[in-house]
Amino acid sequence: MNSLMNIHLRVNGHPYSMDIDPSSTLLDVLRNHLHLSGTKENCLEGECGACTVLIDGRAVNSCLLLAARAQGKEITTIEGLAQGGTLHPVQEAFIREGAIQCGYCTPGFIMSTIDLLAAHPEPTDAEIDHALAGNICRCTGYVKIRQAVRAAAGRGGASHEA
Amino acid sequence: MKPDTLIGRNTTRQDAREKATGEFIYGMDFRLPGALESVVLRSPLPHARIVKIDAGRAEALQGVRAVILGRDLPEVYMNGPVEDQPPLAVDIVRYFGEPVALVAADTLEIAQEGARLIDIAFEPLPVVTEPEPAMLPGAPLLHPHWKSYVADEQVVRDGNVCCHARLQNGDVERGFAGSDLVVEGDFSTASVHQSHVEPRVATGVLEADGVVTVYSNTQLTIWIRSQVARVLRMPEDRVRIVPLGIGGGFGSKLYAQIEPFVALLARKTGRAVHMFTPLEEELTAGLPRHPTRIHLKTGVRRDGTIVAHQARMIVDCGAYAGSGPEVAGIGALMLTGPYRLPNVLFDGFAVYTNKTNFGAYRGPGGPQSVFALESHFDVVADRLGIDPLEFRLRNIAGEGDEVANGQILLGVGLREALEKAAAAIDWGKPSPAFHGKGLALSWWTTTLQKSTVRVSLDAEGRCVVGVGTQEMGTGGVMGALPQIVAETMGIGMDDVVIDVTDTSKGLWDWGSQGSRTAFNLGRAAQGACIALTAKLKRAASCALGVGAELLEIKGRSVISRARPEAHISLATLARSDTRGELCVIYESIPEPAKYRKERLISVLYPAFHYPHFHCHAAEVEVDPETGQVSVLRFAAAHDIGTAVNPSLIEGQIQGGAAQGIGMALMEEVRYKDGYRTNINWTDYKLPTTMDVPDIKAIIVEHPVAGGGPYGLKGLGEAPAIEPPAAIANAIARAIGVRITSLPMTAEKILKAIRAARSEK
Repeated sequence: MNSLMNIHLRVNGHPYSMDIDPSSTLLDVLRNHLHLSGTKENCLEGECGACTVLIDGRAVNSCLLLAARAQGKEITTIEGLAQGGTLHPVQEAFIREGAIQCGYCTPGFIMSTIDLLAAHPEPTDAEIDHALAGNICRCTGYVKIRQAVRAAAGRGGASHEA
Repeated sequence: MKPDTLIGRNTTRQDAREKATGEFIYGMDFRLPGALESVVLRSPLPHARIVKIDAGRAEALQGVRAVILGRDLPEVYMNGPVEDQPPLAVDIVRYFGEPVALVAADTLEIAQEGARLIDIAFEPLPVVTEPEPAMLPGAPLLHPHWKSYVADEQVVRDGNVCCHARLQNGDVERGFAGSDLVVEGDFSTASVHQSHVEPRVATGVLEADGVVTVYSNTQLTIWIRSQVARVLRMPEDRVRIVPLGIGGGFGSKLYAQIEPFVALLARKTGRAVHMFTPLEEELTAGLPRHPTRIHLKTGVRRDGTIVAHQARMIVDCGAYAGSGPEVAGIGALMLTGPYRLPNVLFDGFAVYTNKTNFGAYRGPGGPQSVFALESHFDVVADRLGIDPLEFRLRNIAGEGDEVANGQILLGVGLREALEKAAAAIDWGKPSPAFHGKGLALSWWTTTLQKSTVRVSLDAEGRCVVGVGTQEMGTGGVMGALPQIVAETMGIGMDDVVIDVTDTSKGLWDWGSQGSRTAFNLGRAAQGACIALTAKLKRAASCALGVGAELLEIKGRSVISRARPEAHISLATLARSDTRGELCVIYESIPEPAKYRKERLISVLYPAFHYPHFHCHAAEVEVDPETGQVSVLRFAAAHDIGTAVNPSLIEGQIQGGAAQGIGMALMEEVRYKDGYRTNINWTDYKLPTTMDVPDIKAIIVEHPVAGGGPYGLKGLGEAPAIEPPAAIANAIARAIGVRITSLPMTAEKILKAIRAARSEK
């Protein structure tokens, strides 16, 4: 057992201080220390993308990042998107376009989409496919997810503010 | 669509918002405080005798709370058509990854260390890797005591064959003799894994009154209850299964894998015990699709009419029977229908090998059969010089036609599905070099059994719909069901509250599976809502002094049609209902399909209930230098009776088709000498956004009476069935060479192209 290490993280605009095992991943800390279970867990090796969060606005597999390495950065999880009960335009688009079935991959897809739209406010289909290729969805066949991304792009989905 | 109806509208499913915000609680998000963590020790060999097993060092490790070995359990086998599988291996391990021991500890790390400390020694046994040699006389028997197993009486078994299913009608030999052309072909399909993005997870609890509770993200609580009760040797009413949110199942979460384990550990420790299956173990020892070998022989007249058809399917069921006997019999329907075949003979064999126990995956036996049959029929059409679309139109069953099992088909939207799918990819228009188009059609069942729904009103007058099965993603429970309830009652969608109950509440349901959820839950809910509406009108009639026949429900009130000022709110009726009369429990048990019993032997799924019909059409481009296939266009037409919610239906069609594209081109559960080799999602390839085009979902509506609410038929499994066949037919047209084994990888295609070139 490693000795504990104290870290400071900024998650969804809130500062947190905690003692963790230095080998803890950001995913582990989000889910098991901060109880932010909206970030999903499976493969733990960067294959499925269910654990995608934003680090300084860029989509990252939180299962592959040591929590300590995320210090000093702005971490955004799915719980941090809605503002005072108003959903983020990307969340709205996923609901409206029927892009959610079992939904286990949804938070990861939404985070990857927000990253995409920040860089490419009007993405081409090729840009959409490329940006989302690291996220596995086994339910939708990706068709309605693409529709949701296109719809969000047309409705200010690039904005980080709702 | 009527202007005032909810049927046919794209309403928003009730769980969408909490899934988009991360608030939805899945099985993986559920923890009980103080729960122990637990792991399974699995066999490192594919076939061996356990010569020594000693848990002493593991039990002595600080923090380990319980170790359970196979020999600690009384002799017990998991329930099923052939009862051959102990929950934990006792003397023999029969597949790589088979559970051997369980360890519960204070932390996951301690449990893992405890498992490593179990002292175990094996004596290797000969490994049976393929089913054909296993069927030969003198082959080593995986189950030397197979005769002693409890089994369904109608299942014909012999040695390594745990089911020989047969369908016979007419005389195929005479048919072949009278044919102008007889074509034969061999096909094989690899196993593919469901790859639900959420792992399998369960928590067991020993309650104060001795009841054992298991929390599980299962699709089928009452079956898990039977299996847990069996292993614990407890009556079913002393076991309670609580369904948790499901992050994908596709059949994988139907059968107990870890639920009996957490129940055993909870009973032994008296503590809550949590277990999940890491991806590596899931891909090693889950319940993926059965690999098959299929031989087909078809006799036709010059005009394309089929005269005789013979099929032989070998289903590799792995080390235990599981659902293998059922899948062997599915071939009787899927390798013959939905075609008019005057003379037909089918033999299906479920065969033991030293592999994981293959299981239920979206349309079990379907895609394998259809890949073979529809590839073969394209070959037959080519040999006759008939267009494949035309060949199918000449032979498909229509309204009122009889198919091989003697079943008469009704509500057959097959021709329409075929024509619409073909038109969607411009069938008949020529393609550029190395492009090709392909079609495949089939049918599938709507699994029946019972669904039970309880409807009542809450204090605000909303309709509370108690159900006995969980939403698994399709929208059957959280999308179609509220729509059917609101439509039947005449209330608003927001006034429907779905209450998913555990098994102790008595709402028996055959689960979220088998293309049945919206069909049979919807059917039960419709029956319940009609009865509740009548009760509400009677109660309102007494209160208002207006005849019940003059009343209707509108919004949250019952009102008089003639005098709208005479009304009473549902909330008032609910609060005045001191005797609990405004509650209805309704059981839906639909009438099974009729068939000719004398044609079938040892077929456990002998007919397709409320069958639905579908056709997929694909256009591909093959890179002749690399063998890489790009799916350019894909259209999937499904006759689903009535479209309650088109958006949900499109989602089912597109998602299933994407899984089928994966099975066609890249997915393969690989073994080498009995060892699993690709046990992560880098080596086991899943389709991503880069592989799946914008699949066009085409809805065809040929409703049948007496079935689902508003005429709907089953849907969920079917979209995964046709893609491998449609893509195989498209590839054959693109490169002039037919690939007869799945998956059709770039490597395989390139080899086939090169072999064809060197022959020229």
